[in-house]
Amino acid sequence: MFSNVAPILGLLQEASQASTALTKVQHPDLSKFLVIAALLFIIGIAGVLTRRNIIVIFMSIELILNAANLNFIAFARYLQEIGNPNAIAGQIFTVFIIVVAAAEAAIGLGIVIALYRNKETILLDQIDLLKW
Amino acid sequence: MRKFDSAQSEIRNPTSEIHMALSGWESVFFWVFSIAAIFAGLLTVMARNTVHSALFLISSLVSIAALFILLGAEFIAGVQILVYVGGVMVLFLFVIMLVNVGLEERGDVPIFNRTPQVAAALIFSLLLVLGLLFALNVAVDGLNEKNHSQKEEAVNTPSRDANLPTAATGTARISQSTEAVGAALYRYGSLPFEVASILLLVAIIGSVMLARTIKQEAAADDLAPEVLLDQLKREPELAKFIDESEAVDEVNV
Repeated sequence: MFSNVAPILGLLQEASQASTALTKVQHPDLSKFLVIAALLFIIGIAGVLTRRNIIVIFMSIELILNAANLNFIAFARYLQEIGNPNAIAGQIFTVFIIVVAAAEAAIGLGIVIALYRNKETILLDQIDLLKW
Repeated sequence: MRKFDSAQSEIRNPTSEIHMALSGWESVFFWVFSIAAIFAGLLTVMARNTVHSALFLISSLVSIAALFILLGAEFIAGVQILVYVGGVMVLFLFVIMLVNVGLEERGDVPIFNRTPQVAAALIFSLLLVLGLLFALNVAVDGLNEKNHSQKEEAVNTPSRDANLPTAATGTARISQSTEAVGAALYRYGSLPFEVASILLLVAIIGSVMLARTIKQEAAADDLAPEVLLDQLKREPELAKFIDESEAVDEVNV
């Protein structure tokens, strides 16, 4: 009976040890980068919600994506420091986020050009084509 | 079980081997570039002139690229400069040039939404800031505890670049981060890499199709006849396309 339980108990014990080891490594400089990223994210959110100009809203979205990138890179570095062999995945993710951001900017600015041609404005509250 | 063992051995006594703490000039650069990134981001959102917004965003992106370098991601920093600053922001500046932003620039129209909307947005942002402060408040004891030991350790340990091979010019050391990114991209990320290329192809075709003028659409025969007749009032030049299509129809009949 105990032979069945023992491996599970050992697993739990190791898991708890590993988790305490991880929580001990609250690195000050990791958290500095995370705070910077969070502030950039908040600034981007405020820009998206308050501005009327579509182009500035797109720029705020770029700011938000960069905040996410900064988080990814900071955690990649952190995992690299604690010896995780897959730490480089954070940088790979960032490359793909940059690709998606570039595609998004190209399509979005194409839409802005088409809208401006038809409505002669890029102020978001004057574009109400879908409103009845 | 075995899998978990290997996972734990990879962590290999984390407390003694952390050298992530910034020391000396690294710390100075961190504060300079992070404050620059945040202020440039704020000015991006608050600038009245859209071109100024774009330029402030460029300086914010460059500062973030510098932070990437501090974190040992040189390749990503290079991609950030090349793709964002060199590509995306130039696209932004071209679009600003093509559309008329003069009304906002001269102060004839407000640059922010109406007051209730701005108030709601600011309250939401304030809540996010409060959440951040709360998280920091919870974590601050552990952070202070770690701060002293790791700062001393970081000052006393040589730079992590010291054991890297020297570059050909002898002035810098070769970082292995770019090599690792390339290897991981082709080894584990080759499928997403291909999907990204298809995404970029779709974005190219989509933006070309979106940005066509009505004349170009008519020339490619992509307009419905009623739309074409409707647009004829605004652009008389479209008449030749109507004539041609009607002529073709008559021949077919």
